[in-house]
Formats: sequence, structure tokens, C-alpha cells
Amino acid sequence: MCIFTGKFTPRRKEKTSCVNGIWRKLSSSMEEDEFFGEKTFQSFCAEFIKHSQQIGDGWEWRTSKDCSEGYMCKTHFQIKPGTQVSHPETSAHVQTCLPMEEALELPLDDFEVPETTTGSEVIKYEYHVLYSCSYQVPVLYFRASFLDGKPLALKDIWEGIHECYKTRLLQEPWDTITQQEHPILGQPFFVLHPCKTNEFMTPLLKNSRKINRSVNYITSWLSVVGPVVGLNLPLSYARTTSQDE
Amino acid sequence: MAEEPDSVLQLPPSTAADGEGPTEVSPETATPEPPSSAAVSPGTEEPAGDTKKKIDVLLKAVGDTPIMKTKKWAVERTRTIQGLIDFIKKFLKLVASEQLFIYVNQSFAPSPDQEVGTLYECFGSDGKLVLHYCKSQAWG
Repeated sequence: MCIFTGKFTPRRKEKTSCVNGIWRKLSSSMEEDEFFGEKTFQSFCAEFIKHSQQIGDGWEWRTSKDCSEGYMCKTHFQIKPGTQVSHPETSAHVQTCLPMEEALELPLDDFEVPETTTGSEVIKYEYHVLYSCSYQVPVLYFRASFLDGKPLALKDIWEGIHECYKTRLLQEPWDTITQQEHPILGQPFFVLHPCKTNEFMTPLLKNSRKINRSVNYITSWLSVVGPVVGLNLPLSYARTTSQDE
Repeated sequence: MAEEPDSVLQLPPSTAADGEGPTEVSPETATPEPPSSAAVSPGTEEPAGDTKKKIDVLLKAVGDTPIMKTKKWAVERTRTIQGLIDFIKKFLKLVASEQLFIYVNQSFAPSPDQEVGTLYECFGSDGKLVLHYCKSQAWG
């Protein structure tokens, strides 16, 4: 299927792909890869954000100053327990990924940020989904900071990463998570490296073509990479990823 | 098309995953391994509403991922996706550098902490939960 036009490609003698609306011939090594352009990226993001709005998941679209580029972003706050915590029941939220989503439902005003309790801190997590022109895939940028703006180091963010990924990522973190300048904001963010994105997305997309079902690339991709950095998508997104048309 | 044996094999408890579990369960015999704790469950004969009732999970391979000889498993409701991933990786004898992903609806990866019981309630049909799995070297 041409992801850009949404139409299934007619049988062609040559394998071709449509990127940014431009058809080009694929070499045999490339035909297995799935690429898409910025417009397609934006269209999948729009679908994703639509569902996010329906369930109050907090994702928004932002554009660069000249509006030529855009990205998806979400901010959420998490209470990190210190040595003394006045609300012990919230400390459980830090240990596993899933309860973090529950914290999202509380508007910031309702957060009981204890002023007199020592050690308990609120951490602001930001997740941005941008399009990489060089890899032609989406990329996840993220950062965390305390409310006073002081950034968390990567080693502090590790605590929020699920155990199952820690071993793997800690072995070769430089291959996977790097610090880079946000292409639009120009500020330092951590980035989950996109070089292997096609490797796990391609079988999924091929499978969806086989069963004649369209898939929201962004939703599928984010469901895989998000948990690695503490971002879990509510299950309701799964219902919208594939719709028989 | 080869038919799966009708009886459902029981997923070994996670505590037995220190190399004991999958290698002892023989797909050919179709005899459930008696577990040390939970009751052996034929799956479909438990009374409805029993919270200990196991979920029938059908595992399907995507892409070049090896196909499991036994695809149908009875899994405790509280088993997490991560637990299932670890089990399949051991069963397929994947190396440490290979990642395994599990998908519902053939498109969405639930978080590692998600429980099979919850997934069954949301995506189960015909008394079972179909999960697709795919191996990949996603990082590094």
C-alpha cells in the first residue's frame, strides 16, 4: 500500500515506492524496507492525536516557527519519592510503568505536592515524536527535569525504565540512547536511536498488508519504543491501530 | 494444515523459568505438566467467573520469526506480557541480543507489565486471546 496516498499499489513489473508523493524504483535490497515522508508522518500523528483527545491522553501537535515542520508532544508529571514521603501510597507509582498513566488523569492543580515534606519531588517528563528525514522514520525525543528546570541526567532516567530493557540498554547505551539537539527547539534531549526502527516495523507492516489491514505506523511504533523510556500507551490505542476499510 | 492437539498445555510458572520449564514440556505428548502450585486446567471446563481461570492464548509468528510447535497455551490471568516474552524467548532459544515483541490486533505492543487477563478482556474472542510475536534486533 502506498502509505502516502492510502491506495494499494497496482501490480507493477518493477518494485516501486511512493515517498513524499514521488514514485521511485526500489532496488531489491530496499523493497523490504518501509519508508514514509513527512506528510504521511503528520497524517498518522493527526490520527493518533485524535484518539489521544478522545481519551484525554495529553498528546498535542506543535509546529516550528515557520510551520514547515511539526511534531507530537506530551508532558506528564510524576512524583518521585525521596527519603521521606508524606503520601506513601503514591511511591508505588514510581516502580512500575503502568501506574504512571493513572497520574496523568490528575490535573496539575490536584497534585498534592507537599511543601514541607523533604525529599519528595515532582519530575516533569516530556516526550516528543519527530520525523527524521535522514532515516525516514519517526524518532522519539525525551527529557526529564525537576519543576525548577534542573534536568535529570540519563542515569536518573534509567530508574524509570522497565527492568526488561535495562540489561540490554545498559550494555550498549551509546548505541541506543544519545543526547542530541532537538531539531526544532534547539535544546538538548535524549533520543532513542532510529537506526533499527525499520527492522522491527517492517515485519509488522508486511503482515498488515498480507491481511489487508491498514495500520497507524505511529501508534504501532510508539507502542514498541515508548515503554523502553517509561512511556506506556493505554490499550485503547490498540483498537484504532488497525481498521478494516 | 497440521492440527494442534486439542488439550491445552500449561505455561510453566515463572518461578520455574530457570531453565527447567520449557525444556520439560513436550509438545508431542500433549500431557499437561502438573505444576507445583496452581491447579492443572483444561481451560474450557472451569466455571465462568472463576478468577483463577486461565486464559487460552494462541501464539502466532510474524515475519521470519520461528514458529512455535505448540501454539496454544493456558496462561494465568496475572501473567504479564514480559513474562510471556521471556517464556517464548526461552522456548525458541533466542540469543540475548534478540528482542521479542508481542502484539495484539497484529499491530499494537502492550506494555511489558500488562496482564494477559486484561488483554483477554479487551481483545479476546471465541474464548481465546490471539497474540502475534516477532523477533527483532531492535537495539544495539
